[in-house]
Amino acid sequence: MSLLEIKNLSIHFVTRYSDVHAVNGVDLTIEEGKTLGLVGETGAGKTTTALGILRLIQKPQGRYESGEIIFKGKDLLKATDDEMRSVRGNEISMIFQDPMTALNPILTVGDQIAEVIHLHGKCSQAEANERAVKMLEMVGIRAERAGEYPHQFSGGMKQRVVIAMALACNPSLLIADEPTTALDVTIQAQVLEMMADLKKGRGTAMLLITHDLGIVAENCDDVAIMYAGEVIEYGTLERIFHNPKHPYTLGLFGSIPSLDKDEERLHPIEGLMPDPAALPAGCKFHDRCAYATDECASCEQELAEMESGHKVRCARVMKGEI
Amino acid sequence: MGELIRVEHLKKYFNTPGGKLHAVDDVSFVINEGDTLGVVGESGCGKSTLGRTVLKLIEPTDGKIFYKGRDITDITEKENKQLRKKMQIIFQDPYSSLNPRKTVSELIADPLKAFHMLDKAGRAQKVAQLMDVVGLSQRFANSYPHELDGGRRQRIGVARALSLDPEFIVCDEPVSALDVSIQAQILNLLQDLQRDRGLTYIFVTHDLSVVRHISTDILVMYIGAMVEKCGAKDLFKAPLHPYTKGLLSAIPVPNIDHVREKVKLQGELTSPIEPKDECRFIARCPYATEACKQHMPEFQEVAPNHFVACHNVKTINNM
Ligand SMILES: Nc1ncnc2c1ncn2[C@@H]1O[C@H](COP(=O)(O)OP(=O)(O)OP(=O)(O)O)[C@@H](O)[C@H]1O
Ligand SMILES: Nc1ncnc2c1ncn2[C@@H]1O[C@H](COP(=O)(O)OP(=O)(O)OP(=O)(O)O)[C@@H](O)[C@H]1O
Ligand SMILES: [Mg+2]
Ligand SMILES: [Mg+2]
Repeated sequence: MSLLEIKNLSIHFVTRYSDVHAVNGVDLTIEEGKTLGLVGETGAGKTTTALGILRLIQKPQGRYESGEIIFKGKDLLKATDDEMRSVRGNEISMIFQDPMTALNPILTVGDQIAEVIHLHGKCSQAEANERAVKMLEMVGIRAERAGEYPHQFSGGMKQRVVIAMALACNPSLLIADEPTTALDVTIQAQVLEMMADLKKGRGTAMLLITHDLGIVAENCDDVAIMYAGEVIEYGTLERIFHNPKHPYTLGLFGSIPSLDKDEERLHPIEGLMPDPAALPAGCKFHDRCAYATDECASCEQELAEMESGHKVRCARVMKGEI
Repeated sequence: MGELIRVEHLKKYFNTPGGKLHAVDDVSFVINEGDTLGVVGESGCGKSTLGRTVLKLIEPTDGKIFYKGRDITDITEKENKQLRKKMQIIFQDPYSSLNPRKTVSELIADPLKAFHMLDKAGRAQKVAQLMDVVGLSQRFANSYPHELDGGRRQRIGVARALSLDPEFIVCDEPVSALDVSIQAQILNLLQDLQRDRGLTYIFVTHDLSVVRHISTDILVMYIGAMVEKCGAKDLFKAPLHPYTKGLLSAIPVPNIDHVREKVKLQGELTSPIEPKDECRFIARCPYATEACKQHMPEFQEVAPNHFVACHNVKTINNM
């Protein structure tokens, strides 16, 4: 049994003025201890998917239109609020996109971590304090700094505190939403390496959201590429990097300047992702796709299995035409 | 081609409660016409301050700036304004650098108006032409910036910078806020403009694959100071400074067959306020020796067009 299995998840934000189709029929699977990379550009629906798993979608606009989120054999969409509270923090924890907002400026970093442990860990305050300091040391922050406030820390250190907090209750799944986007590459490398070590030591599975294919290459076991609320390609790291198939995935790879090859010009995908409040019929990518036919503009595409461990949402690829 | 920009021993120190902050510390370089100097380094190392000081948007503390051989360090306000036409800047954040109450066409016409160039009809024509050049459809002429996506907003920034027909543009992280596919569109645009108009760029970024792609030469900065400078491709082939080695090997590469030797940099940046007269990289350097504590290393040419500031550059690289 997989640790997490998302089936046909759809989340819309409905207001008087618009109906945003943020997540549309997403299927994802995460195995115990493995890391799934979720890649896609701004507005693709990555954060909404993550918040959806934790049932943190903003109400009342945010609505689950369909789906199941099977975590350890139980559907989280059917769980009670009490059950969800115990899942969050204890079993699944999340590192948010902006590390700076995740910390409380008026509490010392030690107290913040202790609070999380105390809340979820059913242990005494003294024990919680002790474990908080241990967590800090684990992420490479000296024990004597536990009494300092977030503003006394650099960006990289703050992010390490956030990671310590997320791992404090030994979750089986960590959702990390662009955990290093705000950091410099050298600090990013330190943080990612530390996360990988901690994960390995504890067997934690991870959903790693990023738009950096380099980070995916170095940290993930499987990859899902999202576009306009849909997963358009899904596979093992090996398949996606050696044999990408969907024209959008190919476009993403063509947009990144190479570090060892010399190329005069980049080969970006022209145009923009469609507005999720006004998605086109047919393939959501057809108006930017060099291979699109009339059929692509009218027929819904299915995420179909090409080969074991590799799925693509493109009829033309499936027919072997591309 | 001839020399367009020359900077000699440029310094910019800011006064802070803790003492002088060395944002730019003794930086020198030459950029030839039509070339791009890429400037890289970690957050706070002085990249933006360098770009702005070269444009004289900030007064230098010390040092000289030459434009086509002419010393522009101490020119009058009036001369400075004339020079502004030739030297422009494109900012990272197209969101905050554009007035939200102006339409796209008003925003692009702004610099022309400020310099009293062209009449109303002439300006309208020029704006339409600039929108074409940067790939903004005319239907956005009356839109407001918040109605546009980041890529289009950055195109407005590019159109504004081009409006006075400059020769030199400082691009300060122009694509950092954009998605890769949009980033690639803007990079292609900047390269096309450079080729068609013979533009010269300083390109500030922390994205190393971008800087390699777009630059002729690359300058690596660390806490205000130059640590390495050479041709763009050479820097990636054979970085000589330990900081550059660490920086380059920290980039995650989107290639799973690419096994690279990693030079790990521990620790974080030291403070740029009143730094000691020693190598500024000493706290993170795996090769530091006694000599590194004695004084700051000189920036020397160790191979043709390859400059490094490191006491131990020869031993580290078996030279
Ligand atoms: N509370 C909300 N109300 C209305 N629309 C929303 C809300 N939250 C998200 N959306 C919309 O849903 C879509 C998906 O947003 P989401 O934040 O999931 O994207 P993302 O892939 O995480 O993007 P980014 O890379 O910018 O973080 C976007 O169009 C966004 O504007
Ligand atoms: N007006 C100012 N007053 C005081 N200090 C300043 C001022 N402007 C910049 N600094 C300081 O100068 C140093 C260099 O800043 P600068 O913005 O040039 O860095 P940068 O390399 O562009 O960083 P980033 O990658 O984050 O944009 C920093 O330590 C910054 O805090
Ligand atoms: Mg997001
Ligand atoms: Mg800057």
